[in-house]
Amino acid sequence: MTELDAQTQEALAELLLSMADDEFVLGFWDSEWTGIAPILEEDVAMSSVSQDEIGHAKALYELLAGLTGDDADRIAFGRPADGYRHAALMNHARTDWASSIARRFLYENADAIRLESLANSSYQPLADLVVKMRREETYHLLHFDLWLRRLAEGGEESRSRLAAAIDELWADAQAVFAPLAGEARLVAARILPETLETLRARWLERVRPRLEALGLPVPAAATPPDADGRIRHTEEFAWLHGEFTMVVRSDEAATW
Amino acid sequence: MSDATPAKDRVWEVFRQEAEGDPMVHGGSVKAPDEELATHYAREFYGRRQESERLWIVPREAITELDDPDLLKPPFDRSFKRPGGFLIKHKLEAARERAGTAPAEEAGE
Repeated sequence: MTELDAQTQEALAELLLSMADDEFVLGFWDSEWTGIAPILEEDVAMSSVSQDEIGHAKALYELLAGLTGDDADRIAFGRPADGYRHAALMNHARTDWASSIARRFLYENADAIRLESLANSSYQPLADLVVKMRREETYHLLHFDLWLRRLAEGGEESRSRLAAAIDELWADAQAVFAPLAGEARLVAARILPETLETLRARWLERVRPRLEALGLPVPAAATPPDADGRIRHTEEFAWLHGEFTMVVRSDEAATW
Repeated sequence: MSDATPAKDRVWEVFRQEAEGDPMVHGGSVKAPDEELATHYAREFYGRRQESERLWIVPREAITELDDPDLLKPPFDRSFKRPGGFLIKHKLEAARERAGTAPAEEAGE
């Protein structure tokens, strides 16, 4: 494709940052299960999936760094907490297993739809990366759908915990598709082949029937995400930010 | 599976193939309540670092075990049943000479 003008490049940087931060923050939250997941095998699986997400974030940060002349590690670890652009869905602290599974189910489906669309991006470096990411995300989607089904069918307690978690996370899950400031430019350039609102409608078409099929209550409200769905953060995220920047902050000039 | 085994304690034996054409080799085992989760866990334990071409995931109860010493370790001398009991090195050399072929590298073994 032709050289990007400054405003389109800025919009692309915003898109890459939003995707990278989703993967990065979720990867860190779920890595908190390491050592305490329900069974040993799942402990390894959840830790491995979390590492996959950090790996995807790294690749996206590197793409972004190449675009803006920045440094991937600086972007990942060198920002204040309010500089992150993950969706509000990733603002929630880890609580019980049902809540982590509910978030994963909502997010993996949203991510799958986002990546399906971006596989056709006119920005070839992103389209190429997305092809690789999707190969790993296929397994994530299977794994968390499997857990969703087990919790839904596992008995009264797991089912009610799962239903409560989906209800609590539903509004913030919409924020994965919160509009980006430069979105219109990205769509015009076909860097983002479809609007985020189109993708959100597709996500609802996929997620709702799945919940219905499992006999889970489908939250009624599907109000569009507010514009600050990737800007507002919580105390819980501030705590996580303190955790994942701890090593960097201990000696900012250190090199590997 | 014996009916007494709770689903959560089911064990699956995992065999892996390192490269296409290699034999399947026992890698280890995973615990999982059903085949679907066993498959995911086998993938995590024996394939997530791209170290396997293929996995076989077998419920432990499907395996027929033979460990009877009367059948496997009979008490009499059985050394005559080993192929090492038959020395063919010199016969082989003589045969090669007759055939007029130079001894192959492995002839000295």
